Amino acid sequence: MAPRLSLTHVEKSFGARKVLHGVSLLVQPGEVHGLLGENGAGKSTMLNILSGVLSKDSGTIEIDGKPVTITSPRSASEAGIAMIHQELQQVPELTVAQNIYLGGALRMAGGLLVDRAAQEAEAKRLLAPLDPNIDVTAPIRGLRVAQRQLVEIAKALRAKARIIAMDEPTSSLTPSEFEKLVTVIAGLTAQGVSIIYVSHKMDEVFRVCQNATILRDGKLIAQVPIPQTPVAQVIETMVGRELAHVTHHSHATSRVMMQVNGLSRGKAVQDASFDLHAGEVVGIAGLVGAGRTELLRLISGVDRADSGTVEVEGAVLPQAGPRARIKAGLGLVPEERKRDGIIRHRPVTTNIGLPAMNKFTQGGLIQKRKLKARSEELMKEVNLRPFDVSKPIGSFSGGNQQKAIIGRWLAADTKIYLFDEPTRGIDVGAKAEIYDLIEKLAREGRAIIVVSSELPEVIRVSDRVLVMREGRISATLSGPDITEANIVRNAIPAS
Amino acid sequence: MTFLSRLRFRDAGTLLGLILIGAVFAIMAPTFLTGPNLLNVLQQSSINACIALGMTLVIISGGIDLTVGPVAALSAVLAATMMVAGVPVPLALLGAVCVGLACGALSAALIAIGGLQPFIVTLGGLSLFRAVALIFTGGQPIFGLPEGFRAVTNGNILSIPNPVLIVAVFAILAWIILNKTPLGEYFMAVGGNPEAARIAGVPVIMTKFAAYMISGLMAAVAAMILIGRLGAAEPTMGTLWELDAIAASAIGGASLMGGRGSILGTLIGCIILGTLRNGLTLLNVQAFYQLLATGIIIIVAMLIDKATSKQE
Repeated sequence: MAPRLSLTHVEKSFGARKVLHGVSLLVQPGEVHGLLGENGAGKSTMLNILSGVLSKDSGTIEIDGKPVTITSPRSASEAGIAMIHQELQQVPELTVAQNIYLGGALRMAGGLLVDRAAQEAEAKRLLAPLDPNIDVTAPIRGLRVAQRQLVEIAKALRAKARIIAMDEPTSSLTPSEFEKLVTVIAGLTAQGVSIIYVSHKMDEVFRVCQNATILRDGKLIAQVPIPQTPVAQVIETMVGRELAHVTHHSHATSRVMMQVNGLSRGKAVQDASFDLHAGEVVGIAGLVGAGRTELLRLISGVDRADSGTVEVEGAVLPQAGPRARIKAGLGLVPEERKRDGIIRHRPVTTNIGLPAMNKFTQGGLIQKRKLKARSEELMKEVNLRPFDVSKPIGSFSGGNQQKAIIGRWLAADTKIYLFDEPTRGIDVGAKAEIYDLIEKLAREGRAIIVVSSELPEVIRVSDRVLVMREGRISATLSGPDITEANIVRNAIPAS
Repeated sequence: MTFLSRLRFRDAGTLLGLILIGAVFAIMAPTFLTGPNLLNVLQQSSINACIALGMTLVIISGGIDLTVGPVAALSAVLAATMMVAGVPVPLALLGAVCVGLACGALSAALIAIGGLQPFIVTLGGLSLFRAVALIFTGGQPIFGLPEGFRAVTNGNILSIPNPVLIVAVFAILAWIILNKTPLGEYFMAVGGNPEAARIAGVPVIMTKFAAYMISGLMAAVAAMILIGRLGAAEPTMGTLWELDAIAASAIGGASLMGGRGSILGTLIGCIILGTLRNGLTLLNVQAFYQLLATGIIIIVAMLIDKATSKQE
């Protein structure tokens, strides 16, 4: 039988830079095929070529043994390829059914009118095996991310996709939603649909994939059968070097750096109180929607608290927005880097200097040389790649943007670091670098909070773990009590 | 060559556009490429340049200021009334400047603190400030400005018209603010990504106040240049100034989405618009066609911008 999808010797260059060097990919019918590699390895370019966003320079694409030409997203869809993006591409105000039929509406009255009733009936039928609870007439904005993802899958089925590419599908899912997705994927493959699964999370890849193609620097490094290959070997193949195996070292001291007392905002955060010590890393775990991000936004002054206080070294901070909190020594590394972190067109230097311009200003003028020297010093330490601090931050990969955002607080001499999902969308190699950086900050006596949905990450970096559930801190775990089982038990709402 | 190598890609493109347009006129109209005529182009561009400098900063910070024409008219009639009443000229100028700053502050307050959209706020201001100017004067022009004041704006130094010199000074200041001071970085950060800027500790409200107040100030300066030249202040002056200023900023590379723009580019943009009008007048082209040419130039500039920006 011919393979479902066969890419042979695909090449792609942007200007003089070659990003894909003769890459091949072979996916069988009904197979879940992992596409692995660090950021910048060429995964996104491959997906973009498959989904018609980019065109390849050379090479061939065959589906079920027949060569296909993909020149636009529409032709990709006609060829049977659907793409589920990490950031779901939906129109929030339209209904579930309208989103499913976006770009291919069912017509009536000779094509003049949209047949909404038929669309809704059909959407309901498509969604029934995925999640019958989704109301197809409700606007998409009211749905949880996991449900919106199922809507995208329904849309792919509507277009009769035989290949569904999923880019980091679980980045906003809770563990139980992931289990649900596993079931859905199994259902799809049973019908013969092939899945291309892109993820940085090895446990997931090993859970769902049968085979994986590993890319590095735009080259095909290996295609491996997944269950038979050790995790460490897969990671080494991706990264091209052996990752040091690390254990957690605590640098926590008894000196209280920050006290949070009864911080509340609506239902999102209720009566949150805890201490943070110098040199300590406190992890905050919980399900999506448990109020973790909201708590960090209250502490950093981005949102106003209804009640409660934040004290830094004994002094209560006024309710006056992020600028005042930054002066008091706090810095937020936000979850949504693109939306809340970076100023895309500006160079790394000014993105670093922004909170502490006074440190780089003399007589009212910015000392660009001093800013550049300091930025280079900081970015050398965290291994910014490519090492050019004058380039716009938007041209860097997610991991390297994150290093610059962390560098921003280093430059401002921040004492208390608030990390929200610090490694979301960041590849394995850069992840390890960010963990090292967090530990280094702790060693230097700074205080750190890490909000993370990845339990191995929370367990790896934290001295103490606060578990949040429905807006409240439901448990504080330390030492040997920090286990996945304990975290999950306290995170799940009792119903 | 250091100047050329430091010239930003986008500014170089705008300059090239100016040179091309200039070359066409130089060939077609023999009087175009003469010293006095070129100075004339600069002088004719100076009022728009004044307005456009402030507009560029507002656009970079993610806003738009449609009030500039009426603000200019309001500061013009106030200063003229004061001068005619015998108030010392410097004090009258200070009055004009205060009107500009106050109008800018009002727009900024509604936008930055009230959270209203810049387009709508300044569209409201456009009618409001014009109405105040008309009510204040009863719709009548104010004549009889003192000769001493008029001599400043009609004079020249080393045969360069004073308005051109005034604009040059403000342009240098604006360039320094945008490229060398924290405020300039704040303009670009707030325009590029307001939420990220706020989280990074940028004083967003202060930044917006600065942008609109500078724009108001520049409107007052433009008004003073114009009433000095005309010897009278009309409450209806400055009609459609905002559109010329926005056009010059856009031709010069300012993105109406905010976050990007260039002072040098805006100045060249103003000179392109000025050159076009001057050259077509020399060629005896009807005013209708001048408008047509202006429209085409703006759209062509944006198309070239779109086509080349991907490669940068």
